[in-house]
Amino acid sequence: MIAAGLTQRFKVAFDPNSQIFSLAGTIRPRSIDEIAESIHALREAIDAVRGVLYIDVKRLIQMNNTAFQAFIRVALDACRERSDLRLIIITSSVVGWTTRMFRHLSTIEPQISVEVYDSMFYPGQSFVEDTSFIPILRAQTKLTWRHERTILPRHGMRPGIAVADICCGIGDFAVLAQKEFQPARIVALDHSKPSLAYARNVAAEFGVTGIEYTYGDASEMLLEDNQFDFVTCRHSLQIFNQPELLLKELFRIVKPGGRVYITNEKNSHCLGEPRAQSIQWTYNELARLLSHFEMDVELGPKSRRYLADAGFDDILVESFMVTNLDGDPQDFADIIAGWEKMFAAMAARHGEAPEFIDRFRQGFQDHIFAALHPKGYAGWPIWAASGRKPL
Amino acid sequence: MGATVNKTTETAFEPLLQFDMEMEDFLSDWHHCDHVSSYLARMISHNRTDPVRHSNFFSSALNELLEVSFRGGTTDGKIGLSIYRQGATERVQLNFPCPPGQVRFYREAVSRTRESDAQARYLDAISNDLAPSRESVLLDLALNYDARLRLDEDAAPAITLIVDLPLEGMVS
Repeated sequence: MIAAGLTQRFKVAFDPNSQIFSLAGTIRPRSIDEIAESIHALREAIDAVRGVLYIDVKRLIQMNNTAFQAFIRVALDACRERSDLRLIIITSSVVGWTTRMFRHLSTIEPQISVEVYDSMFYPGQSFVEDTSFIPILRAQTKLTWRHERTILPRHGMRPGIAVADICCGIGDFAVLAQKEFQPARIVALDHSKPSLAYARNVAAEFGVTGIEYTYGDASEMLLEDNQFDFVTCRHSLQIFNQPELLLKELFRIVKPGGRVYITNEKNSHCLGEPRAQSIQWTYNELARLLSHFEMDVELGPKSRRYLADAGFDDILVESFMVTNLDGDPQDFADIIAGWEKMFAAMAARHGEAPEFIDRFRQGFQDHIFAALHPKGYAGWPIWAASGRKPL
Repeated sequence: MGATVNKTTETAFEPLLQFDMEMEDFLSDWHHCDHVSSYLARMISHNRTDPVRHSNFFSSALNELLEVSFRGGTTDGKIGLSIYRQGATERVQLNFPCPPGQVRFYREAVSRTRESDAQARYLDAISNDLAPSRESVLLDLALNYDARLRLDEDAAPAITLIVDLPLEGMVS
């Protein structure tokens, strides 16, 4: 159900299979009558379930007291009438007021509990939120930027536009983009508080102002519809278990005619000479290992399909190879050393045998050997793609 | 409960923006509450640590205040809104014409937001009332936004709600 109107830009949905009733958007009615249909939908949902009903408000951007009291009236009455019923309200750590407003319900009614949704939604999130990974991310951006600064204008980046960098990580790409292209506005969003803290510190240290760093969930953003001319989401679709959800949000926030730019890898295409076979084996195994953590690091060439399925047109796809010849080879080697440490830990977490882990590590070390060899060549291929939101 | 503004404290707040509108125009459309709160929240939040979330939080609180003035105001005169900042706190001063018979209600309702039974009153209101009263909305601001509320009656027949919102600390 979609409620139209200026103060009722909200959606109400009930999934009987999961027993989830969800409220999303902005609900600011003048009177209860304006939301009578939605109130009725909650009553029907309660009547349809046995046991637990989840009330999902993690995408509830705004709700005034009139709506709040009308909805909770139904919930409280239901609990008083049915001792078998349990209501679990799922709020978001991103939308602070929901947590503070709904928390009272568990005090009023023991059959209601309130839970704060968190990053467990993303199975691989904890690995990339590890602060020890920050130097690797910095080195990665340093090397990819040499290519992307020339690629980005072909995909729509230009001065004076409104830009959003979703899944901005430690924020270094946003800083580089701001310096190079002088957008009128740049919002940088990530779901890692340590990464954002780092980003803010770096910006302050280097006197960079004007980047709006924000804590947010890329699949449930507070950002309003049709706000940005250019939206970037780099190296992130591949580590989320539901990339189509993220693309749906990226599509939502970009203006009609604006473009969404994504970069992703195909890790099995990482290469090096000498010791090519060992390197190839490890990166094939890496793609397999990460699939166990619901990450698709082979996503790069699939970008065109994902963008088309999300509704974009005028899709542009290109690839570039980050290599040991891009500046100091040690930078490339440092990235691979970081990968070896992180991915070996993930292999151990997955229960791989020590012999496997030794061979797995060897491939990364051989990649480093290739990068630092005076006649060697080491590469890390990346696919850059963008699509236009139809007018 | 003091009815006058502490002028010493007042000077420590830096003015951010001021907005006023004929009350008749304001009352002509309920959507003004939503539009004004969302727009002004975005304007004053741009240099907060997390502008997007600060704006969302601030809009939520400001909208409630505007809805109070919408439901309780009269068509004569203007609605005036000033926003100030001191450190992590934004101060909202909302001035609107109010029938003389309602001033006492606001005086008492604002006073109750600081009393020890504020939470019990709020829980009772949201447990039992079908629709929010203006008092429960003020209690909501005090409890869910850690707001400190005062009332200035100097400009009668208008009243001024003065609400300090320490949202920056909650958001970041």
